[in-house]
Amino acid sequence: MKPVSINTRLVQRAYWLIRLRWIATVSVAVGTYFSSTIWGMDIQDSALYCIAFLLALYNAITLMLLNNVSRVNREVPYNTVKKIINFQISIDLLILTFVLHFSGGIENPFIFYFIFHMIISSILLSVRASYFQGSLAIFLFGSLLLLEYTDLIPHYCLLGFVPHCLYKEGFFVLGTFLAFSTAMYLVIYMASYIATRLKRAEQAHIEANKQLLEKDRIKDEYVLRVTHDIKGHLAAIQSCLDVVVNKLVGPLNEKQSDFVNRAHNRTRKLTEFVRTLLKLTRMRLSDKLEMDFFFLDKTIESALASVSNRAEEKQIRLDVNIEASIGKVYGSQFSIEEMIMNLLLNGIKYTPENGEVRINAKSTDHSVLVEIIDTGIGIPKDEIDKVFDEFYRCSNARKIEKDGTGLGLSIAKQIVDHHGGEIGVESQEGEGTRLWFTFAKGVSFDSRVQRLSEE
Amino acid sequence: MGNGKILIVDDDADITCALQTMLESQDYTVVTASEKEEGMSKIKSENPDLIILDVMMSTWQDGFEMARELKKDAAYKDIPILMLTGVKDKTGINFKSTAGDPTWLPVDGFLDKPVDMELLLAEVDKLLPKKT
Repeated sequence: MKPVSINTRLVQRAYWLIRLRWIATVSVAVGTYFSSTIWGMDIQDSALYCIAFLLALYNAITLMLLNNVSRVNREVPYNTVKKIINFQISIDLLILTFVLHFSGGIENPFIFYFIFHMIISSILLSVRASYFQGSLAIFLFGSLLLLEYTDLIPHYCLLGFVPHCLYKEGFFVLGTFLAFSTAMYLVIYMASYIATRLKRAEQAHIEANKQLLEKDRIKDEYVLRVTHDIKGHLAAIQSCLDVVVNKLVGPLNEKQSDFVNRAHNRTRKLTEFVRTLLKLTRMRLSDKLEMDFFFLDKTIESALASVSNRAEEKQIRLDVNIEASIGKVYGSQFSIEEMIMNLLLNGIKYTPENGEVRINAKSTDHSVLVEIIDTGIGIPKDEIDKVFDEFYRCSNARKIEKDGTGLGLSIAKQIVDHHGGEIGVESQEGEGTRLWFTFAKGVSFDSRVQRLSEE
Repeated sequence: MGNGKILIVDDDADITCALQTMLESQDYTVVTASEKEEGMSKIKSENPDLIILDVMMSTWQDGFEMARELKKDAAYKDIPILMLTGVKDKTGINFKSTAGDPTWLPVDGFLDKPVDMELLLAEVDKLLPKKT
C-alpha cells in the first residue's frame, strides 16, 4: 500500500469534519424537537431551529470551498486546508455557544461538548493553534456566563431539567467555569501530546521507507551499470565467435566446430539474459512510462500475430475474446503489447502440444481486465506466491526449459505497477494457468478528487 | 573486393575486427576508425559507400553528433549510415522508432549490439546492394 501524503490526508480529514457537522446539524434539530415538543422543556426552539439551518448552510459552503481548493490545484495547498479547518473549528465553537445560550446556558450539560472540538484541533492542527482554539472556547463560554450573569443578555432557564435557575449562583458559575477551563486545556495538552508522538513515529516510518527506496535505487543503478558493461564484452565475444562459427577464418574440424557452437549458443543465451535484466532494471528505475490513449483490441491482435507462428509449431490453438466495448485505454502501448506478447509466449511455452491458449479482455466502469488462460503444466501450489519474484522459476518450468531468465513475470508486474493496476495468477498444476491483470482506463485528476471526497 | 567500401567507426577493436572479417567475406572493402576524429578524416580520404557507426565511443553521444554532422554536409549526406548501439538498454530510447528523424537520429539503419551476423549482412545489403 502506498503511504497517503500528508496533504491528501488533511483533505480527507477536512471532509470528515464536514460529515461530522452534518450529524451535529441533525442532532441540534432533533434534540430541539425532543426537548421542546416531546419533553416540553422551555427552550428557544425557533432560535435553535434557525441555528440548525444556519449550520447546514455554513457546512454546505465549507464543502464547496473545500471542493474548490482541492479541484483547482493538482497539489492541494496544505496551509489553505489548515486555514479552512481552523476557520471551521472557530465557527463551530461560536455556534455551539449560541446553541447553549438558547438552551439554558450553564444549566445545559452539553457545555462539555466543547471538548470534542479541542480533541479534533489537537489532532488536525498545530499545538499552538489548538491552545488558541481552547482559549477561544473559554473566552466564548466565559463571556456567555458573564453576560447572562450581569443580565446584559437574557438567560433562558432550563426549568424542567434543573429545579431553579442557576445562572445567578456566583459560586456555582465560577466553579463550573474553572472546571470547564482546566478541562479544555488538559484535554488539549493530553490529545496533542499523543498526536505529536504519533506524528513523529509516522514521520520516522516515512523517513525509513524513503531510505529503503533510495537504497533500492542505488542497487538498481549499480546493476544497470555492471550489466551494461558485461553486455559490451558479450557483444564482442559473440561477434568474434560469429566469425569462427561461420567459418570465415577457415574450416573447423567436427570437434572444434561442436565446441565453438556450444560457446556461441551459451553466449547468445547470456546476452538474452543480460538484455532482459537490463530491461527490468531500467523499468524499475524510471518513474513513469510514456503514456497515451490507444486501442487495446488492436494491441492484443498485434501481439497475437507475433506469436501465432510459435503456436502453430506446437499445434496450439489460440483463442481470443475481446469485448467490443473496451475501445481506447490509457497506458504505454509499447510495454503493454510486449507484455501481452510475452505472457502469450509463456502460455505457449508451457502448454503441451494440441493444447489451447486463450486471451480475454473485459471492460468494467473504470478499468480493463485482461486474462491469459492456458491448458499448460500449471504452477505448483506452494510456488504460486513466488512467481512474480525476480529470478524465480517454478520447478516444473525448469524441467521444460533449463535456461529461462525468471524475469518475465517480474517485468510484467513492473509494467502493471506503472499503470496503477493489479496482476495475479491462479493455477492448477497439470491443468492450466489463468494469469490476469487490470489497469485503469485512464483516470483524470477530477475523478480522483471525487473519489477522495467520497471515501 | 568489388561490392563497395565500408567504413566502420567503433572504439571496440574486437568488434571492429569481427565485423571487418564478416564484411570482407562478402567482398566488401573495409576501412576502420576507432574514434570520431579519425572517422571524419577517413571519410574524407577513403570516400566510403557506407558508414557503420557505433553510437557510444569516448562520450556517449559521439556517434549521434557524427551522424548529424555528416547529414548536414552536402558532400557526405548521401552516404548511408548504419548505426550500431549498445545504449538502447541504458537510455531506454527506442532507436527503431526514432531512426530516420533528421534532427534527432539521422541514420539510415539501426542494429542493436551484439549484432547477429545474418542481420548485419542483410542490413548492409539493403543499404549497399551487392554488385555481384
